[in-house]
This record gives sequence, structure tokens and C-alpha cells, in this order.
Amino acid sequence: MDVFQTLSLIVTDYTLRNVALGAGILGIVSGALSTFAVLRKQSLLGDAMSHAALPGVVLAFIITGQKTPLVLMLGALIAGWLGVVLVSVITSQTRVKYDSALGLVLAVFFGFGMMLLTWLQGQNIASQSGLDQYLFGRAAAIVEHDVQTMALLGVAVLALVAVFWKEFKLLSFNPDYAATLGFPVRAFDIALTTLIVAAVVLGLQMVGVVLMSAMLVAPAAAARQWTDRLGVMIVLSSLFGAVAGAGGAIISSTTTRLPTGPTIVLCISAIVLISLLFAPNRGIVWAWLRQQRNRAELQKAMLLEKVYQVSYLEGSPLQTHPLEELRTFMRGSQLERALEALKQDGYMHLDEDGRWGLTPSGVAQAEAILRERPRALAPRPSPDGLRQGEVG
Amino acid sequence: MSSGNQRQAPLPIQIEDLTVAYRAEPVLWDIDVSFHEGTLTAIVGPNGAGKSTLIKTVLGLIEPSAGQVLIYGQPYEQQRRHVAYVPQRGSVDWDFPTNALDVVKMGRYGHLGWIRRPGVKDHQLALEALRKVGMEAFARRQISQLSGGQQQRVFLARALAQDAKIYLMDEPFQGVDATTEKAIVDVLKELKSMGRTVVVVHHDLETVPEYFDHVVLLNVRIIASGPVDEVFTPENLRRTYASRLDGAATDLELASAGVVLQSQEDGDGRVPNAQPDRY
Repeated sequence: MDVFQTLSLIVTDYTLRNVALGAGILGIVSGALSTFAVLRKQSLLGDAMSHAALPGVVLAFIITGQKTPLVLMLGALIAGWLGVVLVSVITSQTRVKYDSALGLVLAVFFGFGMMLLTWLQGQNIASQSGLDQYLFGRAAAIVEHDVQTMALLGVAVLALVAVFWKEFKLLSFNPDYAATLGFPVRAFDIALTTLIVAAVVLGLQMVGVVLMSAMLVAPAAAARQWTDRLGVMIVLSSLFGAVAGAGGAIISSTTTRLPTGPTIVLCISAIVLISLLFAPNRGIVWAWLRQQRNRAELQKAMLLEKVYQVSYLEGSPLQTHPLEELRTFMRGSQLERALEALKQDGYMHLDEDGRWGLTPSGVAQAEAILRERPRALAPRPSPDGLRQGEVG
Repeated sequence: MSSGNQRQAPLPIQIEDLTVAYRAEPVLWDIDVSFHEGTLTAIVGPNGAGKSTLIKTVLGLIEPSAGQVLIYGQPYEQQRRHVAYVPQRGSVDWDFPTNALDVVKMGRYGHLGWIRRPGVKDHQLALEALRKVGMEAFARRQISQLSGGQQQRVFLARALAQDAKIYLMDEPFQGVDATTEKAIVDVLKELKSMGRTVVVVHHDLETVPEYFDHVVLLNVRIIASGPVDEVFTPENLRRTYASRLDGAATDLELASAGVVLQSQEDGDGRVPNAQPDRY
């Protein structure tokens, strides 16, 4: 199927449209929320909550015998919340740290959920089949009603962030200070956590409990690479979430036997990878290039200083030297690169005999370097000493 | 007061019978101390003495086990507007995506209340506060690109933007460069000249007589408090830094706490009980 066919299917095909829209909206919501989760160092909160939701889904089915999304979502919501409360209780009442408490709750709830699921599968109840889709998500099951619910949550989240923009910013950056100004830190915690639980619950059908956590970390992690402004970061994070969500959903729907959740997560992971590598300033590639440039500059300065010193000691700063003599200062190709660069800068020249020497501007530059670095490692003539030497 | 009226104007900060505990362990024990209008007070004491806890309790960040704190005669919740807080620099993540001016504008949020955004006036006040700490050139700088001292000055500017009557600062001199130290001292002097009340958690004993006029010596209990001239004595310092087991600090402990008493013995009489042969 070519790209054009796919695009036309999004418009005409009921299922594909729902899936793409739903996953896109989910990406926007989780992208915006992940910004705050990541900045508040609560990346793992979504992880714990999504895993904690599994036993809620299974128990809701066991208790009610129904498999309607609303009932199962309610179970997930309650279990997710219970997980958060438990984490909060553990950190406040015991000496267990926040990250350990999250890990504990995540493992215990998820383990319990898997146990129930396995037990249920052994019970020979025909209607239970399909519950395991909540592990990795099955976007094809999304109906228009689900998309509407997601859109509603999306609008609510974005409106809340827009209206309470300054409060969200302050409470994320410096909660203690916010508290002294009279802003309710605890209520903000609860509000944000509730929104994240809601996003997790909506994401369960689409991405599944195992991988929903990625949607609550990855978009913000990628967005942070590109900007130093909170507003831009949220917009980018939502955009990345939307692209990965819709893109992943479309790819998996139009390809046979490709699960939705993992495909979406792979899409967002690709965005994260690109961001980590290529974002200006923060990206690894740029940092590496910058480091290479700095190193080259330092090598040039070192070589200039050393040539100046040795020339000076031999009588004149303009003294020339054969290449072999300069090899004591720097190894192999490094030396040739530095010499070539210094020649480009006009600080050194190569005469007909193949000897290297400083140009007058190179002398001035070397003296400037020596002045700026009073604690140069090598012994150096003081500018005064130089002039006296010339007179003598 | 010479008049028959016994009711005096309420003090900026009055702390009564204050006890704070983490679980069963008291961090502050039965604190009674008050801070007067227009004074610069240093809170001094060893690690774990409860210095930060004291100002956090004043700010309502920590719930006391007993006792109360009054700001101009009323609970903190009703007097927020008069109090500005400079937290420890290390208490936030400076990689947060925002710039210096934006952080300083946060000092206006309390005045703005809910939802309303900072306006032109707040912008001006924030720039003015940055100028006072010598940071106006860095207004648009991403905060992670600032040095530690510059970050500290941004926090100070944020408190200045609050335009409060009382300033509570937690270790503002911790690990800062000479420029920043001077900028902070200048701000302290200006605040004092404006009649503001400043309380600073401070760790460098040497500079206490130079920077402050009042001092509170704290080690879970109040060891002594009052004007630096009267209270900042070797005997009181010895008691403050005394290990709680044997009740007497060794000279080594005092030295490691930064006490240099010799320098104060000659001349200004700030340390009346100093005995030169003992140090």
C-alpha cells in the first residue's frame, strides 16, 4: 500500500481514522503531561501507574463479568490511583525512598495483575479472551466514542495548562517557594497525578500497560533537547507525541501482525534518538563536534606558544624550524593539522626550505596567549624580559 | 515604652515555645526568639542544628510539633505578602527550561494571585531587582548557563522583586564567588537602610560581625541571641558548637567550624571575654 492510499484511507476508513485520531490525541495529552512529569523528576510515576492499572482491569472483569471498556477503565483508574496513594504512603511513613517505592508498587501490582490474568485464562471462561490486549494495546478496538473521550481529556488538559500556566511553571520549578507564596503544592500534585492517571487509563487500550509509560517520558525527553523554553518544550512534546501516536497507529494498522503499542513506542523512540543525537547545543553529535573544535583550537594555541618560546630562546621569535624539530611538541597528524590551520590563520608560514616559522601577527598572537595564561606550564619569558633581551 | 500603654507594635517575627521534630527526634527544642524591625540577623550553628528548619517553620513549610510563629502578630498564612524567601540554591534543578528574568518574575506571583500573568509593571520590577544584584546583563540567559554565584543572585533578585518587609535567606553565601558575596552584602545593607528585617542562615563565623548586627546561636536550642556585640562571644560559640555528648567543644571542632577568634581579640572589643592565652 503506498503513501497516497494510506492517506486516503485515513479519511475514508472508519477504523483507521479512529485509530489515527485517538493515538494522535493520546500523544498530545501525554506529551503535555510528560513535560511536567519529567521536569518534576517523576518520570517513573507514569510507569508505576500504568503497571498498577493491570490488576484493576482484570479485577473489574472478575467482579462484573463484563468487558465493556468503561467498566475496565474504571477498574484501571481505581487501581492506578491506589498505586499512587500507596507510593505516597510508603515514602511518607517509611524510610524507603521515592524511586524504590515506585519500583515496589509497580512490581507488586503488575505481578498480581499477571497472576490474575493467568489464573483467569485457565478458568475456561470463553468471555475472558481479549483481556490480555491491555498488556500491549490493540488500537483496532478503538471506536468513535473512545476518540471523543480522548478529545475531551485532551481539551481539558491543554486548557488547564494554559489557564494555570504560571502556577504550573512555578510549582514545577520550585514547589517550596510556591508554597511560601500561598500556592497549594499538594493540590497541584494531586491534580497533575490525576491527569496522568487519566491519560494512562485512556492509553491502555491503545498502547497497553507495559508501554504506556514510554509515552509519559519520551516526548518530553526529546523536546527538552531542542529548546530552553518551557512553552516551546510543551508544544514540541505534544507534537512529538502526536506524530509518534498517529504515525505508529497507522503503520501498525496498515501492516499485518504489527502490534500497535510497540509500534507507537518505536516511533517515539526514533524521535528521542534523533533528538539526542542531532539537537543543536544538547545533541551528542554537536557536542562532539564542539569538543573537536575546542580541542583543535587548544592544540593550535599550544603549538603557537611553544614555537614562540623555542624561537625566542634561539634568538628571534621569527626563527624558522624544520618540521622534524617541531615533532617534539606534538604527535604525528595532530602537528600537521595544527600547522596547516595556523598557516590558514596567517600566524605561521612555511618557507622554500620547508621550515616553519611564526609570522609577525603570529608573534603578537603568541604573546597575547602568554599574557592571558599567567600560569602557563612551560617556563616563559616575561614581556619585559623579552624587550630587555632584545636590547641586550 | 514610656507610655502607659503595654501593647507594643507587633514584632516582625515572634517565635514562641517552638518545637519541631522529625519522627521522635527533636530538631528544634523550645525555641523562643524574636526578630526586630530593621535588623540584620545571622542564624549560626553546627550542621544539624536546625537552622534551615527554623526558617522553613517560620515560612509554614514545616509543621511544628508545638509552639507558634507570629508575623507582625498574626499567623504566616495571613502575612505572606510581607515575607520573601531565598531558598538554598541546591534545592532546585537549574536545568529547568527558563531564563533568569522569568525566575525573578516568580517573585511577583504572590502579588498577582491566581491565573493573572505578570504585566509591564512586574517586568520592570523584575529587571530592577536583577540590576540591584548586578545581573541585568543576564536577564535572558538560560539559568543552567549561569555560574553558581549568579544563580544565587537570581534567587536574591527574585526575593527583592517580592518587595517584602521580611527577608528569610537560607545560606545565600554558600559557595559563592567574591563578586556575588559583595553583591549580597550590598543588598543586605540596602535592605537594612530601608528598615527591612533580614534573617540569614549563615555558616561563615568569621564574617558574622562584619555583615550582621544581630545573631542567633542555635544548636537545637537557642544558645544565645541578641546584638552581635553582646552575644557573639567565644564562650557562647563554644557552647553552640559543643558536641552534645561531652558538653564541650574541642579547639579542633571550633577550628573546623571556622571559628577564628584571635582576629577579633585585638581592638574593637567585640569579644570581651576573649582570653588570648587559651587560643
